[in-house]
Amino acid sequence: MLCENCKERPATVVFKQETLNNATERHLCDKCAFYSQTFTFSPDQEPLSIQQFLAHWLGGSELFSEQKVDERLPDGPKCPNCDLSFHRFLDIGKFGCAVCYEAFSGQLPRLFAKLHNGHTQHRGKIPVSLNERFALKRKLEDIRTKMQQAVENEHFEEAATLRDEANQLKQQLSDGGDDRHVI
Amino acid sequence: MSFEKFLKQELTGWMVAEGEHADIVLSTRIRLARNLQDYLFPISASQEDANRVSEALNQAVKTMQNHHFTGTAMKDLSPLERQILVEKHLVSPQLINPEKHGSVLLSEDETISIMVNEEDHIRIQCIYPGFQIDQAYEQADRVDSELEVNLNYAFDETFGYLTSCPSNTGTGMRASVMMHLPALTITKQIERIIPAISRLGMVVRGSYGEGSEALGNIYQVSNQITLGKSEEEIFKDLESISKRLIAHEKKSRELLLAKSEVHLENRLFRALGTLTYSRILPSAEAAKCLSDVRLGIDLGIIENIDMTILNELMIFMQPGFLQQYAETELTSEERDILRAQLFRDRLGVVRSAEQKKDSDPS
Repeated sequence: MLCENCKERPATVVFKQETLNNATERHLCDKCAFYSQTFTFSPDQEPLSIQQFLAHWLGGSELFSEQKVDERLPDGPKCPNCDLSFHRFLDIGKFGCAVCYEAFSGQLPRLFAKLHNGHTQHRGKIPVSLNERFALKRKLEDIRTKMQQAVENEHFEEAATLRDEANQLKQQLSDGGDDRHVI
Repeated sequence: MSFEKFLKQELTGWMVAEGEHADIVLSTRIRLARNLQDYLFPISASQEDANRVSEALNQAVKTMQNHHFTGTAMKDLSPLERQILVEKHLVSPQLINPEKHGSVLLSEDETISIMVNEEDHIRIQCIYPGFQIDQAYEQADRVDSELEVNLNYAFDETFGYLTSCPSNTGTGMRASVMMHLPALTITKQIERIIPAISRLGMVVRGSYGEGSEALGNIYQVSNQITLGKSEEEIFKDLESISKRLIAHEKKSRELLLAKSEVHLENRLFRALGTLTYSRILPSAEAAKCLSDVRLGIDLGIIENIDMTILNELMIFMQPGFLQQYAETELTSEERDILRAQLFRDRLGVVRSAEQKKDSDPS
């Protein structure tokens, strides 16, 4: 049998891979097998799963060592809604329900910082139905950051426009942003 | 409305060769993960919970003004039918796990798919042909906002949209671009580019997402980070990286052509020969040859073959479709034989039609 990859040399190595839905088998020669192992990127390889990530990089030790282990809760905090413990969460890599976020809130910033390049605070879309006031506040913060940048770059005209915008929002916040006014 | 048409029709919206940079970018996908506040996430939910979520979604979808959705539970489909939905990229491989309670809602034109009870309660997916990140996001965002009117989403001021997996928390958005990068692969530059891209917070994978092979030189580039950046920042980053990849690929194609045109021609025409005359055609070889022929068409070396036929064959060559076509289960070797026959027929038909046209004076 010839190597499936180069189709030149005889196949000497069998690569078996099992995924959720099926199993694949590849017959390769020494050379191709060597390369498929040493490539910086091999699309055939499973990327590091979130479970492995959590277990290896944060695994108990790192997250727990800095916390005082509570003797009543050896597995870390427990979600009152779905009963998932923090330890178990690290094992499976998935939250069991929305309440877990609250239950593990002390541990999460460190974990998210590792997963999301140091970020721990959401900055994207906000459900329209959620308190409009919150959306205004967020927008105001954004404008203030931009204003700061504009001042630093000496774009004073732009900064002035942003300041007017910010004032307008502040006005809205003090009267229009009330819950009763939210449509 | 019957769900059958989604299974019978082999070409789906994103497969037509349209959209910006269609020669390199096959499709653009946006996926938004959402959960309902009052139910356990699918990983810990019971069958009853899952049914209630599914029912809530069905109701929410009914009230939507501009879209009409048709849905089905995965358990109501045969294993083969489920596989076909995966092969069309309309549902994820995870959704069809028979031990779970997944279902799907599809828009008429198959550009929007709402997966229910996958890893999250709701996964809104929009796929567009070519490079259309803005359009795909706009569409997904609109569907999300319409659904939100009737559903109580799990959202937190600090963490954003709460998802089952912490790697999706925040925007819950995964934006991805599927690209055909043969020249970067042939010149082995892709091996250097991929680690560089991952340092920029993006991931490169095979075309089916996690754990799948980069069959036929097709790569999927997507964002890794979902927390701390807005949706727009995320897809602008992806856009700029994709554009750089497109430019690299184009340059490499020119280089290949300039450096060894006859060798390249040799390779591309051999691939066309393999596809047109094989009697046994394994899927990996078919994918490799399809990639070469596609490159040949893009470079103007191979003429008289319509890209749409290649796109159709790309879908049709997969195990699920072959077995649906044969109307029976097939062994791996039987599939390879049928695949070869299909390629001969489809490419041969084009040939004979042209010859007929040439010789027919009327």
